Amino acid sequence: MKELVIASGKGGTGKTTVASSLAYLLNSRRKLIAVDADVDAPDLLLALGGGELLEERAIEASEKARVDSELCDGCGACVNACPYGAMVVEGGKAKVYTYLCEGCGVCTLVCPKGAVKVEPYVTGMLTAQRTKHGFTVITGRLKAGEHNSGKLVSAAKEMARKRAEAEGAELVIVDAAPGIGCPVIASLSGASYVVAVAEPTPTSRRNLMRLVEVARHFNTPVGLVLNKADLSGEYARQMEEWALLELKIPLLAELPVDYEAVRALAEMKTPVELNPKSKISYALTLLADRVEEELARL
Amino acid sequence: MTFKLAVTGGKGGTGKTVVAVNLAAALSSEFKVLLVDADVDGPSTTALLRARMRHTEEVRIFKPVIDPSTCKACGRCAEVCREHALAYAKGVTPILFEELCSGCKACLLACEYGAIREGWRVLGYIHEGEAGSIQLRVGELKPGEARSPIVARALKVKVERELNGYDVVVIDTAPGIHNAVVQALWGVDLALAVTEPTPLGLHDLRILLDLLDELKIKAWVVLNKSDIPGGLREEVVEECRRRGLELAVEIPYDQELFEAYVRGEPLIESRIETPAQRALLDLALKVEREVKP
Repeated sequence: MKELVIASGKGGTGKTTVASSLAYLLNSRRKLIAVDADVDAPDLLLALGGGELLEERAIEASEKARVDSELCDGCGACVNACPYGAMVVEGGKAKVYTYLCEGCGVCTLVCPKGAVKVEPYVTGMLTAQRTKHGFTVITGRLKAGEHNSGKLVSAAKEMARKRAEAEGAELVIVDAAPGIGCPVIASLSGASYVVAVAEPTPTSRRNLMRLVEVARHFNTPVGLVLNKADLSGEYARQMEEWALLELKIPLLAELPVDYEAVRALAEMKTPVELNPKSKISYALTLLADRVEEELARL
Repeated sequence: MTFKLAVTGGKGGTGKTVVAVNLAAALSSEFKVLLVDADVDGPSTTALLRARMRHTEEVRIFKPVIDPSTCKACGRCAEVCREHALAYAKGVTPILFEELCSGCKACLLACEYGAIREGWRVLGYIHEGEAGSIQLRVGELKPGEARSPIVARALKVKVERELNGYDVVVIDTAPGIHNAVVQALWGVDLALAVTEPTPLGLHDLRILLDLLDELKIKAWVVLNKSDIPGGLREEVVEECRRRGLELAVEIPYDQELFEAYVRGEPLIESRIETPAQRALLDLALKVEREVKP
């Protein structure tokens, strides 16, 4: 089973459009499962027109401190020890700001009254949904303000692997979160190939460099998709050359600016489904062929 | 009192940084402005401002250094470590897996024999610099590290100490709703939720507005690329109305804005007048009225 991760250091470069299109296009050639690992803002199903619910599960990926106010005497030892600023004393009793608590348990160690406990906490939901195209999408959804989204991503990937085995799927396509932090690291761990989606801007260039650096930690090969490539002609050319020579990653495809892509999003369809003859559909189809070649070579 | 403003948005790529940078530039003619880049996973204000950076400090966190000669190999430190960063086998001094350690010091507190001493490791950086009259503080997560919230928090703590020198602090957050975003939003007077009129933008906006509501932070919505064909402008307007929130401004799509972005200049400093430039200036005026009512 191979795992293809669609990632980008910067947000809004077109990860979800690329991920949904690759899932849609490659699905006709082999059985696959898609995973929405952008647990902060899970949009993949929206881009694929929704799905029918197969399975839903709450994930307790973290722990949080809880104060027993009967026992607490408001001494404030926990407030001083908390490395995250998550404890306050209000009205003579300690209180936890759940949003800031990372569940490290330091408060339980310093409390002279034994009034603080650390307990499992529901941080997110996992769902499996079948799209109208026939393949399953696993979606991780983080509860607002939570951390440890990496564990939620790992749980989503685990669910995808189990389903892939049960359904005989050979490919898992993962739509990652923007950035290079915890959820992205969890997305890249165990990946066979990373499709890095970037746009020809200085910010995207910087963030691409950071993403490639992280992928190197995992020894995962990376290919570049330059989206909106015709927005700034000269800069795009320079960036492609730089990616090849400095980052040593090949260009898989250039995607043009095409309002058919925006219209497809608004209609919750992939661009190829909406209009196979548009510029963007043509470029995405070539990309799917190219990705297929890269996967075959692994 | 220093006015603290966050620019956030749920979805990535909606224009948070463009709005933050342009607001900071517009407000800097009237106020002393500190711009804080709290998108520590992918900080990009410097690239948009042609900033001059002059100083970098490391964000360090605690890591335990265990002295094998004092360690009684009781395993208490490994037992209290909720990140499972200390591996313990019976009778042997525990081994630390650095990348799992969150630096919380639970092990240090738990060790009864004083065998753990305070070491440290680098998790990221805080850069200081300026662009024109805007002072800039940028948080950056070291690639390969996962703990963005700690870097975001270190940045916020540093900024809190500097507040007195400024009238306005503009904080550019990461996309999403995770802990590092909450760290950046914590204690602000106003949050601008920058979105775009697509189903994805709308979906992520709703999640973010729920979070802001729970954090009891006053929110304004900024609708970027408001005129894209087939867009869901009406739905965004309706969402604001339903929640009783102010749609502070609509910024139309603008090629000149994009070109200024690639050149690394705030659009409001461009001499070419465009609808997007006017919208950004309108927004700055509205914010100004909040800063000094």
